Amino acid sequence: MRSMPLTPRGEAQFVNAIASAIAGARFGAVQALAAWPVLLGRVMFYLLILVVLAALWDKVASEQVSPLAGMLPTGGLAVYVGVTEWVTLSVVAIQQRLEDDIRNGALEPYLLRPKSYLLQRVAPATGETMVRLAVLGAAGLAALAMSGRPLPAPGVLLALLLLGTMGCVLGMLLYVLVGLAAFWMRRVLPAMLIVQKLSFLLGGLVAPISLYPDWLYGFAKVTPFGAQLYWVGVQVLTPSAQLFWIGIGWQILWCVVLSALCALVWRAGLRKALREGL
Amino acid sequence: MSQVIFVQDLRKAYRRIKRQHGPFGALKGLFSPDYLTHDAVSGVSFTVSEGERVAIIGPNGAGKSTTLKMLSGVLQPSSGTVEVLGLTPWRQRRALAYGIGVVFGQRSQLWAELPARDAFGLLRRIYDQDAEVFRRRLGELTDRFGLADILDQPVRQLSLGQRMRCEITASLLHGPKLLFLDEPTIGLDITAKAAIRDFIREQSREVGQTVLLTSHDTRDIELVCERVIVINEGRIVVDQSVAELRRRFLDRKVVTIRSAAPEVAVDFPGVTRRASEPHTTILEVDTARVRIEQVIAMALAHGGIDDVAIEDPPMEEVIHAIYAAHASR
Repeated sequence: MRSMPLTPRGEAQFVNAIASAIAGARFGAVQALAAWPVLLGRVMFYLLILVVLAALWDKVASEQVSPLAGMLPTGGLAVYVGVTEWVTLSVVAIQQRLEDDIRNGALEPYLLRPKSYLLQRVAPATGETMVRLAVLGAAGLAALAMSGRPLPAPGVLLALLLLGTMGCVLGMLLYVLVGLAAFWMRRVLPAMLIVQKLSFLLGGLVAPISLYPDWLYGFAKVTPFGAQLYWVGVQVLTPSAQLFWIGIGWQILWCVVLSALCALVWRAGLRKALREGL
Repeated sequence: MSQVIFVQDLRKAYRRIKRQHGPFGALKGLFSPDYLTHDAVSGVSFTVSEGERVAIIGPNGAGKSTTLKMLSGVLQPSSGTVEVLGLTPWRQRRALAYGIGVVFGQRSQLWAELPARDAFGLLRRIYDQDAEVFRRRLGELTDRFGLADILDQPVRQLSLGQRMRCEITASLLHGPKLLFLDEPTIGLDITAKAAIRDFIREQSREVGQTVLLTSHDTRDIELVCERVIVINEGRIVVDQSVAELRRRFLDRKVVTIRSAAPEVAVDFPGVTRRASEPHTTILEVDTARVRIEQVIAMALAHGGIDDVAIEDPPMEEVIHAIYAAHASR
């Protein structure tokens, strides 16, 4: 039987993979914009959270209702919460898509294409996340301006954009890991709850981890959850170039570690699926 | 003609953990599991040549899906040899993907909120297709499938028939040599089914594309394929042409007589009258016991005949007979 040459060769494969990823991200962005009512709902939810949490932290700061108040920055934690929620709400719930694909056998059509399944799934989700990041960021800034609070300096905004984007990437990698657990768990909700709660507690979603006891703060700030949220939010509490580089450093490190973990777990899951079926 | 698919002594056994009863059963199963082994495919061998259109059919759980999964590379066999387009599917899955197209009748590869044109554009990137080649192929398929008016509508607004035309287009854009079709006409109306079948058959004839189809609709098999492989209990029980299949399994003909009289009485051993309407008499003739000309002669003797049609039994009956024969062994 003759063998038919089917694949592009050498470095062209890498270039093609990048082109596919960009096309996928663009596709995801267009998809997110096409579903604008869903996007609008998310913006409303974000603004609602901001109103409630800003009111809470403003009260704590202004009325000294807690011994914590003395440790808080002037103006409370409204902007900090705005930033951490901005990152959290921007990340697409990709774990649900992965679970659905693995549980329902919808993974197979993706496997029958010449690109990695993760690339086909993560690239559009990244595009969607970037659209959310832009829209929620604009909504957050508009809300901040309307509330009469001072806007962060342009340098801080740029730092937030970079750290926030990386925070979303880390969030997505954590969700991918959770989603891939479906190869073994079928339903990933238990794993998702753990990651969400760790993100809430160790990431400092509603209060900075610097308020924790030293031992816990020292631990939380080096976790991927701290890299995802705290190191972004800290820029509006105490903006500094030094903290920016420390934050980016932790984010890059965890990005590499989580990417490697995702690749390993995917390979193990794929081997299982090829051996046992879905 | 070169071989596109070569399968020899293909086997697949699934090993599943046996569920333990009792409150600690799940815990026990975790630490010392008992396994059950199920042979889904047990020594299947066949080849498919370039340009052939082959149906792989069988009752639910017969092993046809497992066989197709191993052919497409999403399942690793327990043993045996498979080569598709000269490649080993589960080892060279991504390389093989450039040469195959897959249509799942019950799964969409399009995105509901976006027009099919956007999905096609993304697929072009996934298959590393040259922009000019892509434009030409999309133009050809758009003309042939009449997609011009629906390409820019969100997929959720399309009818099922329109969506399926887009699904098939998506699977053909990269010019696959081999097309896997899994229930391609499920849920479609008669007109849409006919259009899909015509298209698949003509496309295969024109470009020499090999087609492997699974369907529970026997009309898909009759109208698209020239060869049928029937799998039951993990083994091939029949592998022959559609025409031979009919002849081999049923020594029967269906004779439809249209007459001026309300009915034509034909009383022969081996002739069974089927439910008929006035002026139309439908007879099932066992040709091993009585010749067709005897039946026609007797009908003529009983009065005027306006028209006579002699047909093979419907494919559905043939398939049913195969399954029944195998089950009774």
